[in-house]
Formats: sequence, structure tokens, C-alpha cells
Amino acid sequence: MTPPSFRRRAVLGAAAGALVAPLLAGCSDGDGASTAAGGKVTLTFAWWGNDDRAQRTNAAVALFEKRHPNITVRTSFAGYPAYVQKLATQAAGGDLPDVAQLDYRQISQYAGSGTLLDLGPYVKNGTLQTADFDKSLTRTGVYDGKQYALPMGKGTTGIVYDATVFKKAGVATPQPGWTWDDWAEAGKKISALGMKGPNGHTYTGLSDLGVNEDAFETWLRSRGKELYASEHRLGFTTDDLTDFWTFTDRLRRAGVVSQARDTAQIGGAVEDTPMGRGIAATDFNWDAPFLGYPPLLGDQVHFAPVPTTDGKVGQYFKPTMLIGAGAGTQHPKEAAELIDFLLNDAAAGKILGVTRSTPPNEKIAESIGKTLTGPEKEVYDYGRTIAAHGTGAPPMAPPRGDVVLQVSFQRDYQRVSYGMESPRGAAEEYVAEAKRELR
Amino acid sequence: MATTVPDVKSAAGLKNSSGLKNNSGRTRTAAIAKHLGLVAVLLVLLYPLVWLFATSLKPANEVLTSLKLLPSHIEWSNYTTALDGISGVSISRLLLNSLLISVGSVIGNVVSCSLAAYAFARLRFRMRGPMFGFMIATMMLPHHAVLIPQYIIFNKLGMVDTYWPLILPKFLATEAFFVFLIVQFMRGLPRELDEAARIDGCGPFRIFWSVVLPLTRPALITTAIFTFIWSWNDFFTQLIYLFDPEKFTITLALRNFVDQSSTSAYGPMFAMSVISIVPIVLFFFAFQRYLVEGMATSGLKG
Amino acid sequence: MTTTATPPPRTARATATPPEQRKRGQRGGPAYIFLTPWILGVVLLTLAPMAVSLYLSFTDYNLFDPPKWVGLRNYSDMFTADPRYWRSVGTTLLYVVVAVPLKLAIALGVALLLSNTRKAKGFYRSAFYAPSLLGASMAVALVWRALYNDGGTVDELLSSIGIHTGGWVSDPHLAVFVVALLSAWQFGAPMVIFLAGLQQIPADLYEAAALDGAGRWRRFVSVTLPMLSPVVFFNLVLETIQSFQVFTPAFAISGGNGGPADSTEFYTLYLYERGFTASHMGYASAMAWVLLLAIGAVTLVLFRTSRSWVFYANEGA
Repeated sequence: MTPPSFRRRAVLGAAAGALVAPLLAGCSDGDGASTAAGGKVTLTFAWWGNDDRAQRTNAAVALFEKRHPNITVRTSFAGYPAYVQKLATQAAGGDLPDVAQLDYRQISQYAGSGTLLDLGPYVKNGTLQTADFDKSLTRTGVYDGKQYALPMGKGTTGIVYDATVFKKAGVATPQPGWTWDDWAEAGKKISALGMKGPNGHTYTGLSDLGVNEDAFETWLRSRGKELYASEHRLGFTTDDLTDFWTFTDRLRRAGVVSQARDTAQIGGAVEDTPMGRGIAATDFNWDAPFLGYPPLLGDQVHFAPVPTTDGKVGQYFKPTMLIGAGAGTQHPKEAAELIDFLLNDAAAGKILGVTRSTPPNEKIAESIGKTLTGPEKEVYDYGRTIAAHGTGAPPMAPPRGDVVLQVSFQRDYQRVSYGMESPRGAAEEYVAEAKRELR
Repeated sequence: MATTVPDVKSAAGLKNSSGLKNNSGRTRTAAIAKHLGLVAVLLVLLYPLVWLFATSLKPANEVLTSLKLLPSHIEWSNYTTALDGISGVSISRLLLNSLLISVGSVIGNVVSCSLAAYAFARLRFRMRGPMFGFMIATMMLPHHAVLIPQYIIFNKLGMVDTYWPLILPKFLATEAFFVFLIVQFMRGLPRELDEAARIDGCGPFRIFWSVVLPLTRPALITTAIFTFIWSWNDFFTQLIYLFDPEKFTITLALRNFVDQSSTSAYGPMFAMSVISIVPIVLFFFAFQRYLVEGMATSGLKG
Repeated sequence: MTTTATPPPRTARATATPPEQRKRGQRGGPAYIFLTPWILGVVLLTLAPMAVSLYLSFTDYNLFDPPKWVGLRNYSDMFTADPRYWRSVGTTLLYVVVAVPLKLAIALGVALLLSNTRKAKGFYRSAFYAPSLLGASMAVALVWRALYNDGGTVDELLSSIGIHTGGWVSDPHLAVFVVALLSAWQFGAPMVIFLAGLQQIPADLYEAAALDGAGRWRRFVSVTLPMLSPVVFFNLVLETIQSFQVFTPAFAISGGNGGPADSTEFYTLYLYERGFTASHMGYASAMAWVLLLAIGAVTLVLFRTSRSWVFYANEGA
């Protein structure tokens, strides 16, 4: 009885071992999902977004297939959180899609580990055109001197505000150059009206920006600093963060910004924000999500520049998302052709519209700009106004630890706003974590 | 399941446990009171479902913000949008895909888990204890920790973007929950049945097929029902392994209806949620009756 | 009464098969045929991934680059340098202590009520199971958020009797209970298992007890409970194992961020975030193995105590 079972155990062990070894080696292996059969090329292309974006993108892809009869494109999409997890799993398994939409915050991660194709040669040989792009925007897809991705859209931040409430409180319409002090002052006047929201909570002038890393970055830049000094170092000190959180915490205690229980609901959807829920007169957001406010609140909602510090502007144009190719793709040339088509083709540009925010190709942006109406037109004009007033160049792509630090930023401040932690204590915890993440 | 039975013969006279026959007026009043109680509890329990249904009829600006149960006006367009499917894939396609995966999973789990359970519950073999312990332990490791290695295996096998990663594990009894469940039920069956069958010259396969399996029917039906519902709702695995929208399931499409980074259609998402639970409601309703009939009717008659 | 059932806690006793049974049993040939799918599953899909994750727990692995061996660093970081880790442990323990008894009590209560209901049984069973059909989809999560929000149904009801709690979902002290209630609300699975167990209690035991003059309560205590105890035990073990790993309802209700102020940051939610958001899969694997050991210990204790309260006919009668 012993021999057979011994043998069995040995067989089991060997089988397990044989499986483990290739598994771990498999991480850097690149067998792409694409296949070529009889001169036909199949590309895979994935993105995140809603149904509208899916329909427009599929229509553009269909046009591409018509122009390139030998190429078939298989497309797929998911909601943002799901997409991020799926892409990470695919990267670990070594089979990124041939072409994929990428998040700016994750560029370093993907590019730094060799999962993305260097697009440089295709830019050089003209397969990929970037002539009509803003140079500083194109640079956001560069990592370690190589062009790993190209922007798919550009956007900037702003203050969403309810013009009717501003008028009622006697606050002037925000103009480019208004300061963070003006912003706080406007909040005080509006909160003093003593209005109530639909859930019975006090209607405040401002939403609490302490949870928002993007807002902090803009505030920081308007004071001449950056979020990151390098791949491995923060660009600010515990004192800077303590100052910011003390500023927002005081406003919260004074009832000028939304209260903790209302701010805590922010999940990303416009409907979750204090302003979207009718209990705040303003919000800080990106230009693309701005489109979600007027349908909820009415046409009196407009978009204003982010406040400055004594006239120094902090906001900048950022790629809303980028596009790149998997390093393991068997058809790099065709992948580059698809990317070029989506970014530069006039007909594709028309189909895609502003579904990924303002197109990075200035000519396409301009021709689309003429066709826009309502809030979409306002966003487009806003972008031009901001550009005219001068914005700084975008900073280097966020380092690897940025994704988790953004989440921690929100959580550490939540503990402040619930009175569970002091601004300094939270800032210290954040900076300590940042040091671990960036090491 | 520990049941005590007098012996095999009198076990045939086993009745449902629904208590003693008693037709006095007091029991009748008690019964009515009980029904009233049940309905009251149900109202509380089903209120969130009513809310969900009501929300699916709300206009866009009330879906997330309104704190009232009833919509200000009924918005049927949520349903027409949902019925259009998503990005060119029709809703019937999505439902069919879900159905295919769920039915495949049910067959896989029922077959493979009952086989394994029979061995663990009724047969003696070397390493039984450690193997059973290992199986229980597999339930204790969070599945996120093994997701990446499993993905790599299926990728190596060329099974990504097929239904194999969703169905094959079920045919290999990887869901310890169900093996454990069926084991517990099989242990409750009188061993005299096996003994009698063995004396009649039946081997383990005959005993399994004609004695043990019929008697384990409630557990098998439970396995079938849970597997159907759980694979229907298993969003994570479907997300990781499916690429082509034509292969998407209704649950996956439901998630894709809402993308928080862009303006989204929450109303149609609720409508689609309602549509997506209809098949599992029907499945449950059709199969729940067998849960009970198991022991009592098919019972220990043979 | 002939004894029939073998006790489930085989695992606790490992290989302690009584010698006379071993003699009676086969050499295992047929058993391995029955076990073929299971063994294939273990070898192909379970063992290797588990081994890999154990290995990864001693490495720095960011999903993209090859893993780097770091020895016990993940474990020591977890225990000494990560305040959020310990917060997640506390939150999870609180959840387990609240959710498991609550869910099992509701499931058992409803199952008992249903087991001797004759009219409309199918309807009731389906209706009580209905909440469990939904899983934790986004729609369900949004409904729960609405119900437990400021001015939502729960707030209104409590306010009308003079208790002002505000919105539970946005209160760091109450949010964990919203998750526990959502999970307890979906009590269908243990209920169905309880029902199946109740089915197997022979009616003549009740008849015998009634002849002895036992009342309803007495019959429940001396017949139903002991006869049902193996099923209670099964549900208790399974619910405990699952509750330690609570993920989906918390992920859905907090939108994946464990808020407000980390109050619903359960162990596996934090693990997921470490592994997939922060790309520290080595750290996440270490967390997973610590959890396995912790759940294993708790399960072992449950198995041990089961000897004193789980009734097995062949030992007790």
C-alpha cells in the first residue's frame, strides 16, 4: 500500500512544481491575443467608458476597418474600476490588448515595466502623426525618454458654480485670476443665506476640497510647488499639506464647506457630490464631468477657472486618457495605424466628438468646436479662455505610487473631517505612506 | 446531517416533519396569525426590492437623488433603453450567454461535487483526512490572491476569452462549499442502506447511483440552485476572462452601463437590473419545490 | 435506534479513522475514481495558484516586473508599520461578530416558520429567498445607500420614534452595520440549507416526544435543535469563513473605497486594494495567508467546541 501512494505523492508534487515554474516565468511572456490568418490581421482594442463612448468608438473602428480591409479590430470595454483591474491582470499574464486606452496615473507603472510598445519609431517614420498636437501634451506620454503613449483627449479643472445662487448672495461672477481667498469669501456669503438642501442639511457655498488630491495639486502649483519632485520624492512637505488641510478644515468648522457626512459620499459620480445633491453651490471638477451638472441642476450652472494664489495660476491641461499598444503585439504597425486613425483622422474625429473630452489634435478640436452647443460649447470655450490666460506646462507623469496615494489622500482627510485626526496628524500619516510607496 | 432511523424497513414509513396532525380551532387561529406574521416580515424584507423596481421607473434626475419611493412620473424609456442592449449587443444575447454559463456550471458542480462528496462521505481511502482538510482550507484563502496565477494558467491553455475558465473549474469540483454541503447530507443517510445494497452484490458505483444519489436530492437541488444564481451574479470572473462584448453576460453588461468617470445612464441600469433577475427568479421558483420533496416523497421507499 | 450518521469533524481528527473501519474499507481504488475530477481540479487549478501566492507573499511583486525576494518584509510591514492594516482587522472582527449571528438567527427563524407551514409554501420560500437572488449588484448597493441615507427610509422611521441617527452610510460608526444588514438581508442560502436539514428530521421523533407529553417548546429544544445541530454547525462554519472574507457587499456600498473614513475597509477589501490598486501583490498575498491561518484557527476552534454541542445520533442516543 505504501509504494503506490508514495508514488502518487511524488507525481502530485512534480506536477505542482512543473506548473509553478512556468507560471512565474509567464509574467514577462508576451503572447498577444491577436492572430494573423491568410494575410488578415486581427487587432484587439480595449477602453473604459460608458455606452455612448462605446457606440462612438465602435463606429470609428468600423470606418477604420472599411479603410483597411485586411484588418479586423475586436473591441471591448468596461467601466473604469473594472477596466483597471482587468488590464492589470492582463499585464501580469503578459497579454495586454494590442491597443489600449490608458490612465495618466498609471503610465509610469505600465511603461516602466516594459508592458507597452515604444511608439517612437512609428512617430519617426510618419505612421503616427503628432504635428497637430500641443507639444507639452504629447510629452505626457513619454517615460524614460521613450514615447509609450499618446494623449486621447485633454482636459482641465474648474469650479462648477450655480450662477443664480451667486447672484442671490451678491457674489460677483468668478473671473480668471480670482483667488482662493475670493473663493472662501464667496462661500461665506452663500452659506450665510441659510438655505436648506433637499435632505434638510444646510446649503453651503463650497464643497470640501480637502478630500481632493487634484484640488490640492492646483492649490500647490499656484504656490509654486508640485506634487512630485521626482519618481521617488514628494514635491511638498508635511507643512504644506498641513496648511491646506487646516485651510479646508477651518472652513468646514465654520460651516462654509460641506460637512463630513456629505463629503464622504463622493464616489466619483456627479450625482454623489454635495453640489449634485443640491446642498452646495459650487464644486471642483474636471471639464468633462461638468457636463453632468446642468442636466441635474439646470442651465444656471456654469464653469469658472480654478482660483489662483495672488494671480498665479495652478491649473493646467492634462491628458484625460492616453492610448498605447501592448509590447507583445504581433502587429505593431497596424496598431500604430489604428492609433493614428483614432487621433488624427478628420472623419473619425467627427464621429468621436468630445466623448473623451477635447481632442488633442488642435485642428480636429477646432472643427468640432464649431459644431458644439450648450454645456459642451461652454467647456470648449472655457478651454480656450484658460489657454489664453496662460497655464503651466503639465508636470511629469505621476510616479508609480500615485494611484494609491490619491486614494489615501481622500481617506486621510476624511479622518480629519470626522474629527478623528488633526490636520497635522493626517498629513504626517500621508507623507509617511508616500515615502513607503515611492521608495 | 444526523438522522436517526429505526431501521431500513420502518424508514420507508418516514413522513415529512411538518408536525403532528391537529385540527383544533386553536391551531387554525394560530395558523392565520402565523401567516399574518410571515407577510408582515416579508413586507419589510421586500421593501428594498420594491424600491429597486420603483427606481427603475424614475426619470434620470431622480434616480440617485430622490429619497421618495415613488417616481414623480413613470419613465418607461429606462426599459426601452435597457432592452436595446449595450453597444450593439442585444439583451437576448446577453441573457443567453448568462444562461449558457449558468447551466454549464450547474451541470459541472452537481456531477463533480457529488462524485467527490461520495468518496469523502462514504469511502475509505488513504489521506482522506488531510485531503478533506485541504479542501476546507481552499475556502479560507481569499480568491483575489490566486486570481493572477489562475489567469496565467488559463492564458497558457489558450482559454482566455472563452467560457472555459468560467465552466471548467465547476467540472473539476473546485467549489469546496458544495462538496462539503453534499458530504454533510450524505453522512446523514443510514449506512444500513449501503450495507444492504452491498449484501445484494452492488459495487460502490451502483450504490452511489441507485442508493445514495436519489436520497441526496435536496442537497443536489440546493447545489443546482446556488450554483445557478451565484454563477449568474459572478461579475469578477466574467470580467477577467471575457473580452469580446458578444460573449458578455447580462451581469457584466449591467456593470458597463455605469461608468463613474463619464456621464452615465443610471435609470436604464436599474431597468436592466430588474430584467436580469427575472430568469433567476423563474429558475428558483421552478426548482425550489424539489428542495422539499427530496426526502419525503422520493424518500426512502426503495 | 440504530446509529447512522458519522460526525463531520473528520478534519479535526485528521486520519483518525477507527481501525475496524479501516479494515472494513477498501484500499481506495474506487474512491480515487470518484475523486478524479476533484484531484484534477486540485492539481490543475488550486494547488499551483496557492503555491504561487504563498511564494509571492515573500516577495515584492508589482504585477508588472518579476517578483523580488524580500523574505519576511511584507509580514513585518503588515504587523508593525501599517496602521490601516490593523484598522481593517478591527473592522472585520466587528463585522463577523455582528453579521454571522444576525444572519443565522434570521435564516433559522424563517426556516422554522416555513418548515411547518403547509399553505403557499413555495411562494413564501421564493419570497424569502428573493433578496438573495440579487447578489450585491450596483443597483442593490444604490438602493441600500438610499434607504440608509440622511432623510432616507430608515432615518425617517427612526426619527418618527424620536431616534435621530442621520444617515448611516455616511456615519463612520454606523456604516459597518449597513454592510452587515445587507449581508443578513440575503439570508437565503443558510435558510435553504436549514430547510433541507429540517426535512430530514424524522416525524416519528416528534410523535414520540408528543406521546411523552412534550409541548411545542420542549419538542423544539429536545428534538429539533439537537437533530438540526449538524446543519447549524455547517452553516456556522461556512458563514464564519465567508464573513471573514466579506468583500462584495462592502465593495458595492462604499464604491470600493472602504469609506467613510475607512469604516468599511474590511480585510479583503484592503487586500484587494493593496494587490490591484496599489500593485503590491506580494503584500496582498502575505495578507491572504495570514487570513487563511486566522480563519483556519477559528474554524478549528469551532470544530473542537462542536463536540460539546453538535448532536450526532450515533454518539448521543
